[in-house]
Amino acid sequence: MELLAPAAAVALLAVPAIVALYVLKVRGPRVAVGGLALWPTHLADRQANVPWKRLRASWLLLVQVLVAVAVALALMRPGLVGGAGPEGTTVVLIDGSASMRATDVAPSRFEAAVAKARRLAAEMGPGRQMALAVVGPQVELLASPTADPSTLRSALDRARASGQEANLGEGLSLANALIAGRPGGSVLLLSDGVTTAPASLPALGAPLRYERIGVSGENVALESLGRGAGGDVVVRAANRGDLGRDLRVEMRADGRLVDLLPLRVEGGSSAEVAWPQVPKGDAVIEARLTPGDDLSLDDSAWLVPTVRGARRVLVVRRGGEGFLTRALGLRPELDVTVVEPDAYRPGDWDLYVFDGFVPDGPLPSPALIVDPPEGRGPVAAGPQRDPGQVLAADPREPLLAYASLRDVHVQSAAAVSPPPDWRTIVTGATGPLLLVRRGEPRMAQLTFDLHRSDLPLRPAFPILVQNLVSHLLPGLGAEEVVTIGRPAALTVDPGTDSLAVADPDGRVTRLGPPWPATFDATDRPGVYTVTASQAGQPSQPVSRFVVGLTDVNESRIAPGPGPTVRSSATQTGEAPLATLELWPWIVAALFVLVAVEWVVFLRA
Amino acid sequence: MPPRSAAEAGAAGVGGAAVGGAGPTILPPEDLALLGHLALLHRRLAGGPYPGSRRSPRTSRSPELADFRPYAPGDDIRQIDWRAYGRLEKLMLRLYVAEEESALNVVIDASQSMALGAPAKWAAARRLAAALAWLGLAATDRVAVGVLDAAGPFTPHLRGRSGSMRILGLLGDLEPAGSAGPSHLGALSWLRPGLTVVVSDFLGDGDWAAALADLHSRGQEPLAWQVLAPDEENPPLAGEITLVEAETGRSREMTVNPRVIAAYRLALAELRDHLRTKAAAAGGRFIHTRSDQDLSASMAVAAAAGAVRRA
Repeated sequence: MELLAPAAAVALLAVPAIVALYVLKVRGPRVAVGGLALWPTHLADRQANVPWKRLRASWLLLVQVLVAVAVALALMRPGLVGGAGPEGTTVVLIDGSASMRATDVAPSRFEAAVAKARRLAAEMGPGRQMALAVVGPQVELLASPTADPSTLRSALDRARASGQEANLGEGLSLANALIAGRPGGSVLLLSDGVTTAPASLPALGAPLRYERIGVSGENVALESLGRGAGGDVVVRAANRGDLGRDLRVEMRADGRLVDLLPLRVEGGSSAEVAWPQVPKGDAVIEARLTPGDDLSLDDSAWLVPTVRGARRVLVVRRGGEGFLTRALGLRPELDVTVVEPDAYRPGDWDLYVFDGFVPDGPLPSPALIVDPPEGRGPVAAGPQRDPGQVLAADPREPLLAYASLRDVHVQSAAAVSPPPDWRTIVTGATGPLLLVRRGEPRMAQLTFDLHRSDLPLRPAFPILVQNLVSHLLPGLGAEEVVTIGRPAALTVDPGTDSLAVADPDGRVTRLGPPWPATFDATDRPGVYTVTASQAGQPSQPVSRFVVGLTDVNESRIAPGPGPTVRSSATQTGEAPLATLELWPWIVAALFVLVAVEWVVFLRA
Repeated sequence: MPPRSAAEAGAAGVGGAAVGGAGPTILPPEDLALLGHLALLHRRLAGGPYPGSRRSPRTSRSPELADFRPYAPGDDIRQIDWRAYGRLEKLMLRLYVAEEESALNVVIDASQSMALGAPAKWAAARRLAAALAWLGLAATDRVAVGVLDAAGPFTPHLRGRSGSMRILGLLGDLEPAGSAGPSHLGALSWLRPGLTVVVSDFLGDGDWAAALADLHSRGQEPLAWQVLAPDEENPPLAGEITLVEAETGRSREMTVNPRVIAAYRLALAELRDHLRTKAAAAGGRFIHTRSDQDLSASMAVAAAAGAVRRA
């Protein structure tokens, strides 16, 4: 139900006006008398001199008030959204982003949106059609325009929320395509408004109505879980709401509660706590915030050791260990070896790091190249120059998760021209600073000498190194966090016949060639275990990966104002036609009421 | 001289026709027939210079013996009963009942308020005034009729047939207008000692008790005759009403409900008790009748109050 002209509610003032007519005295008829002396003054004058009288129950009053209310309702033009009216199509876009999993609206925002769409489908009158789509990272069209409520109901049964941000632009483009050529169309967006919509959304060919779902913005997210320099585990939590919270962090080893850490997080800020009593061995470490909040997706984090043993990393640089080597050494599953360039020999290394040196010939992979000599490197380094201020990067870039480089200063960097198969992750005012190769083989290149910057002194440096290693060594235990709902690429060793992936609940999914395999049943947060089978050998666990919420924006669940979308000129200013206006029925009832009022008046 | 009875009225040529001059019929034949059997009662006589038909407390020459008393020097020797002297050897005087004419002043309230009521009070009040005047003339009283207004019309004290015609002519020409109250009563210069009948609704402001006492002090016997319409005794009013006083134009907004009506009726009863008490204190009477009553009913009320009797 909606009111197309709510300002007409001012007509409801007629109700107190009618009541006032019954309360206020009216001047009575003039009656001539012989004298006034006999008429009591102490009794009648007191009543006559007050401007009102006692309100008495009156059927006439009741009917007249009902008439006034009916008139006001008709003027406010109530309507059922999605109901019958002129022919038209309503495209209902359901926000399927991770924040829609918040439970501040029971049972969840997403389920509430689905229920709303279900009601609209049930109220849809003749001549109307409805299309349904869930807007996640990709837009899933649940139902093309149809007038069949049962089709819409079954389509809504398939609706699922993702663990990522909604691609609103794609959703609006789909809506445009659906209503193209259909008169009287409208778009209804059921969302919490938690989105970083692109700067330019496509213009809509129909009116867009945004219905906000969600009431609370209070949420604390487990931002990171990693190992500190001393081997202890560091838990970092971010309060996305406004109210400070006193929490406890449950530390679990292989699911068993082993410690409770108190943590106070003020509103809008972050806090961290270190846990030195890390159990020895290869236990899966889980941190869980308690008590929980409206969004449980970001209340847990896992630290998973590799099951394949330490990965061997070769660092080739002059001068022995440096900042980079120490940052790599923070990962216990990495076995780091440092050699001088003269001693470099290609071998069976899982990862190569070339710092100020690039070997002749083809580069082994995966590799991280730092400050290659001029004219060398996978992306040929140019002359040194001042890169200028480090510019803000895309906050959704996984390689920069929890690592802000905005305050980093770089004295000089090599001028490079990234080829098309490379993408720039961090750039200065005059050129790229960090590049990553798209696809295989995996490579990354820093265009500056770490010693000519203050990056190694920043807290973001070890995090950036971990992120780079996770990218260059996929499958490195829990270091790879797969976003909820996003497919995980599983690399296998030669000779592998099949893979079995066990989700956090123990349900197993079997995968076969071709390799690498893609596992897409990542709809539950937690630790997934991959087991490989080879001919003639028993199955062996080969890797684990974690599925969790990686988009920090989705942890900010405060309902937003919705997108600002331009409508095309032909539709601007028109009310959504997907509304069944009820005023004709109200006017009909009004006639009946007036007739009743006349009868009551005659009887009175 | 007006007829003394209905038969005489018929013989006088007015008994079978309405009396009222050129105006509306004031006394229809049945009322004249009724009046032929009635007579006004005076509590006190203020004799005039002419003999009349009223029994006087004084003695005088008349056919009717009243009493005897011993002769005293100075008495009229013509009244000595010589037969009694022969029997008793004492000089005794014969005393006879004096029959004197009396004055009847009929004052009618012709103010605007008398036009109110359903039926209107004015017609009833005028009929009463005419009937009382008729009774006075029939008793050979000197009758004057005038309006309760010092500047209003009045007749001189009249006797006989010509007097009745003038009185009825005056009453027939009157229409209610203006205002009247007790203060006007004392300002009437044409009143003579005798019976003074005031026909009014007595609803206006003022001290009627003082006015009645003033009449008494001027040697008059007051007869206050209140005429009200039925809707003035029991007003059929309810709700929001603006009451307008007919004579003054003053108004009052009221919420009339049963409690107000009850209070009004109580006030009316208290007014009547007050007038009755003050009239008695002034040696007179108070009578109230309704405008919807015919003359016989009104005269029955007057007879019950001792104002008239059957002749």
